[in-house]
Amino acid sequence: MNTTPARRSLIRAVLLALAVATGPAAAHHSATMFDRDHARVVEGTVKEFQWTNPHAWLQLDAAGEQGKPVEWSIEMGGINSLARSGYRPGTFKPGDKVTVFLAPHIDGVPAGLYIGARLPDGTVLGRMP
Amino acid sequence: MRTLIKALAMLVLAAAGGATAQSDATSKDLPDWSGIWSMVGPTVFDAATVEPRNGLAGNPGVRERPPYTAAWEAKYLATIELVKKGLFPDPISTCGTPHGFPRLMNLPDVYEFAVRPEQTWIIGENGPSILRVYTDGRAHPGPDDLWPTFTGDSVGRWEGDTLVFDTIGIKGEDGTILDRTGLTLSQQAHIVTRLRKIDAETLEAEILIEDPLALTAPWRVTKRYRKQAGGSRAYDYACAENNRNPIGANGETLTLDADGNVIDILDE
Repeated sequence: MNTTPARRSLIRAVLLALAVATGPAAAHHSATMFDRDHARVVEGTVKEFQWTNPHAWLQLDAAGEQGKPVEWSIEMGGINSLARSGYRPGTFKPGDKVTVFLAPHIDGVPAGLYIGARLPDGTVLGRMP
Repeated sequence: MRTLIKALAMLVLAAAGGATAQSDATSKDLPDWSGIWSMVGPTVFDAATVEPRNGLAGNPGVRERPPYTAAWEAKYLATIELVKKGLFPDPISTCGTPHGFPRLMNLPDVYEFAVRPEQTWIIGENGPSILRVYTDGRAHPGPDDLWPTFTGDSVGRWEGDTLVFDTIGIKGEDGTILDRTGLTLSQQAHIVTRLRKIDAETLEAEILIEDPLALTAPWRVTKRYRKQAGGSRAYDYACAENNRNPIGANGETLTLDADGNVIDILDE
């Protein structure tokens, strides 16, 4: 297929629109360890985006207490449903500065269930507060 | 000697073929269920009875109302309490076993329906889960040849454009659930499913469950599947690829960091 830059841009816009319209996907396990009632925002730098099943994971370096860096493990849906919602392996790139909306782990540890994100170019994926 | 063996083998093959009645349907008589399909609604098995209305399976306190006997209702209530505490692991979370039937009709992600005169395959991307429905006229295996399996044994027939199939031999509560509220059945369950296209974009499964141990009356559940856009694909679903949520010793779902260390603060 002849994929021009304009066409790629259109495809990307459609995929992102799909992603915006879709919330977090079903997990393959109980999600009671995530506190959906106290969803919060975490800002950080993408360390790694694990594009895998049964879940994709976003590893995010963020500032912790006293400025000490903390690596967050942010659990997303499976990649099949994420892909149908417009996400791709390159949606989050190492080094990207992003803001993530998540349901934090009930133990107060740096982990959470992904709800949405704002990319460096301002694009919003999923749901943000 | 080789000739004799070959002749015997041919006899065995001929006998095996003769034991299976041929289906009357031909490919051109069969409905077109090609493409990619997605279940309508969330993975609540019986959305008609879920409480609270629109409650999601796995959320604390959500339940359905099958016509359970008192004993099975009590078991279900005990499971619901475990769900509330996060101590009821989904059997499929181990990435080692299939969802089983009838949960196979209640999956996230997508489905494919491969229809042939002699057999239909219902293929759930999630799992992956495969249900084989034989429509070549065979009967269920006899008692000595039937043991509980995750999807059981399904034989069926075509009534016009409706695939009607009968399932027995499921594992039931020994390793399967119907959804994350903890609904389950006994190994005595007998399930008749009627699957048909109700319009160009919609398949409907009417599932009638009888279970002399678990239910006081037949339980009827309807599931629908919507056709996805042309060109859609199903993908691999390798659950063991990167499972960072193993089940802990108490049935709790753990979370691992990127190095495989448990993140949770565990009770001593």
